[in-house]
Amino acid sequence: MKKIWIIFRKEWHGFLFNPNFLVVCGLITAVLSWVYPNALRAFKMQIETSVYAGSLPQQQLNIHYGVFLRHLSFINLMLILIVPALTMRLFSEEKKMRTFDLLLTSPVTSAQIVIGKYLSALAAIGAVIFLGFLYPALTAFFANINWMTLIVAFGGIFLVAAVYAAMDLFCSSLTESAIVSYVMAVVFNISVWFVGMGVDVVDSPAARAVFEHISLNQHLSGFVEGTVRTTGLIFFASLIFLFCFLSERVIEASRWRS
Amino acid sequence: MIIVENLTKKYGEHTAIDRLNFHVRKGEVVGFLGPNGAGKSTTMKIITGFMAPSEGIARVGGFDVFENPIEVKKRIGYLPETPPVYADMLVRDYLTFVAQLKGVEGASLKTFVDRAIEKTHLGAVQKRLIQNLSKGFKQRVGIAQALVSNPEVLILDEPTVGLDPKQVAEIRDLIRELRGEHTVILSTHILPEVQATCERIIIINHGKIVAQDSLANLSTLKSGSRRVHLKVRKANADLQERLKALPGILAVVSTSPQDWQIDATESEDVIERVASEVIKNGAGLLEITSARADLEEIFLKLTYGNEAGGLA
Repeated sequence: MKKIWIIFRKEWHGFLFNPNFLVVCGLITAVLSWVYPNALRAFKMQIETSVYAGSLPQQQLNIHYGVFLRHLSFINLMLILIVPALTMRLFSEEKKMRTFDLLLTSPVTSAQIVIGKYLSALAAIGAVIFLGFLYPALTAFFANINWMTLIVAFGGIFLVAAVYAAMDLFCSSLTESAIVSYVMAVVFNISVWFVGMGVDVVDSPAARAVFEHISLNQHLSGFVEGTVRTTGLIFFASLIFLFCFLSERVIEASRWRS
Repeated sequence: MIIVENLTKKYGEHTAIDRLNFHVRKGEVVGFLGPNGAGKSTTMKIITGFMAPSEGIARVGGFDVFENPIEVKKRIGYLPETPPVYADMLVRDYLTFVAQLKGVEGASLKTFVDRAIEKTHLGAVQKRLIQNLSKGFKQRVGIAQALVSNPEVLILDEPTVGLDPKQVAEIRDLIRELRGEHTVILSTHILPEVQATCERIIIINHGKIVAQDSLANLSTLKSGSRRVHLKVRKANADLQERLKALPGILAVVSTSPQDWQIDATESEDVIERVASEVIKNGAGLLEITSARADLEEIFLKLTYGNEAGGLA
């Protein structure tokens, strides 16, 4: 546990003092500060029109659906590209700079190395998502919002980002090149969204049920509507465990190959 | 302290090291000498637990590097060929991180880091980013990280590479200081370095140990005795006994199933007697050489001398 903490702290300091992370945070803030007020303004116009015409369905008059969900899907889109940038150097850089030799000859297990690094990636992603959370939270000054629903929705996006982080950490462990790691990770992040498309392709009900269960979209949609389902939690947790385990195996295997 | 038995590492078809056997006692400084690509780094990587051997065992402080890697790693400080430094960390922060990683805790943490900085003369740069340091300083940071946890065993892979002559002398002094307190294995292909720092030398070539002895025995054999290096095709079980029984033979040591070291009294016909005994034994005499006086000559003979055509 102590060793995990030592590795976590070192990597977290690495994020904080590395310009890349701060630049990423700055850019996200810049983009969201442009997009979010525009979404709010569009929502306001919609409400005004509906007051006169009374034509819009009730659901779209809810700020959670009208503004926050779009904001969330926008954050998700950015995370697909940002998480790989945060995780790409975690292992590939160590391999390239030969600092991996130090970790592998220190009295720490491969699992401790992977968990320490994974937690630091989660902390960095948590900071990015917190930035995104500030926008809806500050809307509370001039609108009534349902806090629990909002928090659960952001919790869901954090879990999805945690799945990205596990997959991207695995990509990083596979290569010495940060660029290769980045590209591979983006492909992983995007492709995980297409697995659920199988629902529309297969005919048998059993196969449909399987695809529904492995669809990231299916599980996330529960969260964004404010419901926490244990199936969702288990699904995300097992994906995270799977990819962290695979990374650990890759690290352990490096003793045998090389 | 360190026991290596029949250690073999194969990279696919290529055999990097082939059935190495050697022991290192506590407090000893042992030089690993050999041309580039002889298998020095591979052996060191296996002893540190960085890499698994294909066959054979290696033990450090009584723990098998394969069965009990964590215990072994607690006792080892390792400097790889490339110093494993994080470019984006300050020297002092980096050494603190390594010390913590090696399990140094509490009050001794600062003492240990201070001591490593002092011993490697890094005081002036301790608040600087490692990426801004020169190669020599990076190498010294690498040495400092190996020392920082005050390990029982130090494994240094070419520790003086990239240093200027004054720094080289300092590092050699440092290694001499460590003698007795720490067990040190250092690899190098620089002969004066071994002469300056090591008590015992293991010469390795093409993955095999070709000689291992104290510096004194290797360079200047005691007067009145001589050493003969013998290589046979296939040793019979009783060859050692038969050789020992010959008149004038002091000791017979097998360094590998094929290679033997024979100490004998100074007399002209020792080689003749050994040779005829080996032939009588049917072991297949491949090579028999008399030990040389000069370390450099021994080194060249044992390493490059074995190759076809020899050294021009």
